[in-house]
Amino acid sequence: MSRAGTTYEIGIDTGGTFTDMVCRGSDGSVRLKKVPSTRSNPSAAILSALAFAQSEWGVASADVTLFAHGTTVATNAVLERRGARTGIITTAGFRDVLENGRQSRRDMYDLALRAQPPVYLAPRRDRKEVRERLDGTGQVVVPLDEADVRRAVAELVEAGIEAIAVCLLFSFLDPTHEKRIAAIIGEMAPDMPVSLSHEVDPAFREYERTCVTAFDAYVKPVVARYLADVEAGLLRSGIHIPLQVMQSRGGLASAPIAGRRPVRLFLSGPAGGVIGGLDVGMAAGHRDLITVDIGGTSCDIALITDGRPLIRTEGLIDGFTVRVPMVDVTAVGSGGGSIAWMDAAGSLKVGPQSAGSEPGPACYGRGGTAPTVTDASLVLGYIDPASFAGGALGLRPELSAAAIRDTVARPLGLSDEDAALGIHRVVNTQMAESIRLVSIGRGIDPRRYALLPLGGGGPMHATALAEELGIDTIIVPPNPGVLAAAGLLGAPIEHEVSAAFPRRLADVALPELTDAFAGVEARCRELITAEGVPEARVQTAYALDLCYVGQSYHIEVPFDPAAAEPLQRAYEDFLDAHDRIYGHRIAHPAKIVNLRVVQRAPSSGGVPMRAAETGTPPAPGRRMIRVRQHAQRVEAAIWQREAIGPDTQIRGPAIIDQADTTTLVEPGWTARLAEGGALLIERETAA
Amino acid sequence: MTSGTPSSLDPITVEVTRHKLDGIANEMQSTLLRSSFSPIVKEGLDASAGLFTAGGATLAQACAIPIHLATLIPGVETAMKTWPAETMRPGDIYALNDPYLGGTHLPDIMVIQPVFHGGRIIAFSAAITHHQDMGGLSAGSVPTHATEIFQEGLRIPPLKLYDAGVLNETLVAMIRQNVRIPDTVMGDVFAQVAATHVGARRLCELADRLGTETATAIFDELLDLSERMTRRSLAEIPPGTYRYVDVLDNDGIDLNKPIRIEVAVTVRDQSIHLDFTGTSPQVRGPLNCVPSGTLAAACFAVRAVTDPKIPTNGGCFRPISLHLPEGSLLNPKEPAAVNARTATIKRVAGSILAALAEVLPDRVPAASSGEMVMLALGGRTPSGAAFVTADQIAGGSGASRYLDGVDVIETDATNGMNLPAEALELESPIRLLQVALRPGSGGAGEHRGGLGTIREFEMLTDEISMSYRGERHFSQPRGLFGGEDGQSARAVVIRADGTQEPIPSKIVSTLHRGDRLLIETAGGAGYNPPAGRAAAATAADLADGKVLAAG
Repeated sequence: MSRAGTTYEIGIDTGGTFTDMVCRGSDGSVRLKKVPSTRSNPSAAILSALAFAQSEWGVASADVTLFAHGTTVATNAVLERRGARTGIITTAGFRDVLENGRQSRRDMYDLALRAQPPVYLAPRRDRKEVRERLDGTGQVVVPLDEADVRRAVAELVEAGIEAIAVCLLFSFLDPTHEKRIAAIIGEMAPDMPVSLSHEVDPAFREYERTCVTAFDAYVKPVVARYLADVEAGLLRSGIHIPLQVMQSRGGLASAPIAGRRPVRLFLSGPAGGVIGGLDVGMAAGHRDLITVDIGGTSCDIALITDGRPLIRTEGLIDGFTVRVPMVDVTAVGSGGGSIAWMDAAGSLKVGPQSAGSEPGPACYGRGGTAPTVTDASLVLGYIDPASFAGGALGLRPELSAAAIRDTVARPLGLSDEDAALGIHRVVNTQMAESIRLVSIGRGIDPRRYALLPLGGGGPMHATALAEELGIDTIIVPPNPGVLAAAGLLGAPIEHEVSAAFPRRLADVALPELTDAFAGVEARCRELITAEGVPEARVQTAYALDLCYVGQSYHIEVPFDPAAAEPLQRAYEDFLDAHDRIYGHRIAHPAKIVNLRVVQRAPSSGGVPMRAAETGTPPAPGRRMIRVRQHAQRVEAAIWQREAIGPDTQIRGPAIIDQADTTTLVEPGWTARLAEGGALLIERETAA
Repeated sequence: MTSGTPSSLDPITVEVTRHKLDGIANEMQSTLLRSSFSPIVKEGLDASAGLFTAGGATLAQACAIPIHLATLIPGVETAMKTWPAETMRPGDIYALNDPYLGGTHLPDIMVIQPVFHGGRIIAFSAAITHHQDMGGLSAGSVPTHATEIFQEGLRIPPLKLYDAGVLNETLVAMIRQNVRIPDTVMGDVFAQVAATHVGARRLCELADRLGTETATAIFDELLDLSERMTRRSLAEIPPGTYRYVDVLDNDGIDLNKPIRIEVAVTVRDQSIHLDFTGTSPQVRGPLNCVPSGTLAAACFAVRAVTDPKIPTNGGCFRPISLHLPEGSLLNPKEPAAVNARTATIKRVAGSILAALAEVLPDRVPAASSGEMVMLALGGRTPSGAAFVTADQIAGGSGASRYLDGVDVIETDATNGMNLPAEALELESPIRLLQVALRPGSGGAGEHRGGLGTIREFEMLTDEISMSYRGERHFSQPRGLFGGEDGQSARAVVIRADGTQEPIPSKIVSTLHRGDRLLIETAGGAGYNPPAGRAAAATAADLADGKVLAAG
């Protein structure tokens, strides 16, 4: 059935509720499919989506040239505590680094404290010490005691440990001892998964390095099993190309390499959304973007500056800090499922509790009685109950109204609609303040940026958020609900390798640095070569993590060996970045912390867009809705997204429906199609 | 939409405004941290910003450490007393640091800006920063051996930093001349100004939208709401007077003289009164604490035992009253030294909570270590470069009715981070030999107290000056309802020749190559009798070596 000569690229993103598939043909076709996620065995949903593509779309296995996947398996292993029984081998005297943590607590007023570090990764009995020690210059102070190592490994094996993390002090300066320990483990327990701290995170500060290395070991067997499962399924389906997996910093890696460093998969899903947002925004002519992904329980905020997603060098997983580069996504606990409630003094609050997908908002009719943001949207007339989620759910607006009436409207003495409007105003304020804080904290004025809403809920709140933030332009992707899957097809294949290089910038001679970079690059090239990417497609970028002497946080700045004075250039760039982020620059000496090399092969096709329709669009429908700008219901045009033509101008109040989302255009805003098929919503300038 | 009287305020607008005020406070805080120069702000987060009503009550505050809670209130009050409202002008910004005139201790400078809208003051925008140096006896301006405030640094009474928008060059020159690192200090002061400007600007935008009258009416309403919720929460505490007595080891000067902290907490009529009669008279060393410190501790304790969902603002503090005997540790007379007040505030917060434990057995845990060791080491590296390094070291937290205490964690009034071995050794000729839990230090109980920690340092060069400020060396965190006490802290200098010199809680000394410093912090106390401990929990403790095997 496959049309002769057509090849296909498939992106599949596993989400909490749905597994999304985007399939792009070389003939320009773009197809989408959502199937229910299979939480206990996520690969089942992937394979059923693939089977659908084969049977319904006629995609022949042999014609599939890219199979890219965004997965939650590493994250879920942590959230559900289903990782391996992990042991740690460490320097004598430092067994308790993981448990001591940094000793500060997150919640100041909570008297019932819980351990702040992830001690569950490896309880004290499973942490073993070996005699060895390097000093702060990398010199051996105490040689490695191999008898200690053998004893430690034997004890861990005996205890039934399933993965070992090796975290020695200053291993990032000289990894010899860690490598030797790995070799001994290899002799004594050949199948034992091992994570070495100098490979996972070669940077100073032992708690942070131990923590991320332990996480890596903890999820490694689970991720390996899962990836092997998916790969086996692909093989059975006749697909012989390597499975590509999205990594947290927004690049793909083939399964065997991704499985080696599973701690880099924690943001696999959200990274796809950010890359998708980047491409959609760029196609519409915007290089500075704030993406806001509003789902059921949370809202994920990310910034893209000058066409590049912001990357941060550490992030949070389940509330624990993990020091691994990732797209800078900040999750806030507000979403469509956020529950509205009254506090003891009678004030309206929204969230952070969410109704989730079970029982879900009251309108789902699954027993949920708490009013949610989605219920408010229904009462305000934004959502057409018959066509929500493609009509699959059959919403019951009377349940929404009843829930809002009982919980909010009556106690406040408001009409149902005014109460629903109140829920929207409160949740929008919360989200807008969060977006503002994320931006300001990175030295960015949101007013200069375009807002790119995604997820099923994003486009409903976009104009209200933009108004709060002083943003004039909104870009709604063609398919905001499956953008994370689409982003998989626009992502580069990418590898990043770093090495500690703790030296003052002024003390470093250029040849020394280029030598060191060459070593790092060689390691990176090994990885990208293993991907089978043609040499000519590989782009290489060098970066330095720099800080002022005496500071302990650093900034990543590009390093250009071809520049006239590369070191001076990097220093100037550091001063500029410091000024932008921290508000001042002083001519104080700087220090190198790490060297980084990133090699990437860009995607051949970018993020798939759907071509705009041609011809005369059918006239829109009409419906009465409530917007905050008017005290009464107003008539709104109801458009179908597919029906919008290139010359259509849609003035708010209007609603644009499509299978995966609903876009609300409030009064004062006008929507039209942009280049690439996105919807551009702009603020009407005052006459 | 609203007519401006509280009774007719739109409840949705009130809630939206609350979010905006919190957002403004957070943006002020972000600006403050971002624009500051010194590591103590950027990494110790020792800076806070907030908005206050025209009447001086906290409207919204972003604060990273509890010790800053409510701490700006006396500063704002002092400014209001110094300059009556009719004399304040747009563009005025006030500064002060004198503990006896609204401040806390000299390193903390407060910057306060009146916010004008509709021709009158609608609020104050303020920021407090712990500055890296304020002159005085020793670098950092927290000399452990100070006996009067004049030794602690430059005292700034309430003065205009800006007079109607014009910078007070005289004051700036005066500060610059008196501190060791003038560029850093003034950089941090201007970061505070940047933060108060952000607060003032955004508050004006908010008032533009709401109208002056409605805005201030909403501010009042928000305080009333939090007050109502706090009083309702306090009404759930059985009325009565609850007492607690604890002791601090010494003041660092008179080493054999314990310092008594006594509190009587009276809960009655939806309010709480804290009477510190019986507390030691002021001491010679710098552990004295001006009233703002006890207010911060009291506000912290009340926030911790009331409904956590209550939005934090001045309304939460209205039901609190204090009696601090004049001339006592907690209300010292000039010129008592006050720089080391943190240890005192910590213990005051712990004592208030401990007093309430008997009537709030569900909420209040057994005593936590009550200490955070402040360690400073400095000298020259073998290459001759000067180095100074500091570490903050916590003990264990107390067990509660439902949970074991947590090993090695910051509790109550402080929230600092420890120093990684790899950060220490990359910069200083000092080696960390061990970072360990301290087995057996947690008080036994059905729920065990959290363990303290052991940290051992070895000096790799001569002439390293050390200042060690500990606590809980001569007392123990007390167990609750039959739970046992946590172990005391101890610290010892082990000279290269093997001689042991125990540290009497506080010391300033010099260490040389091969000398070791062994620090063991206190454990948290236990809850309920040990006999009730689940067998599995005991087995896990033994397997993990967290308790010492019996016998």
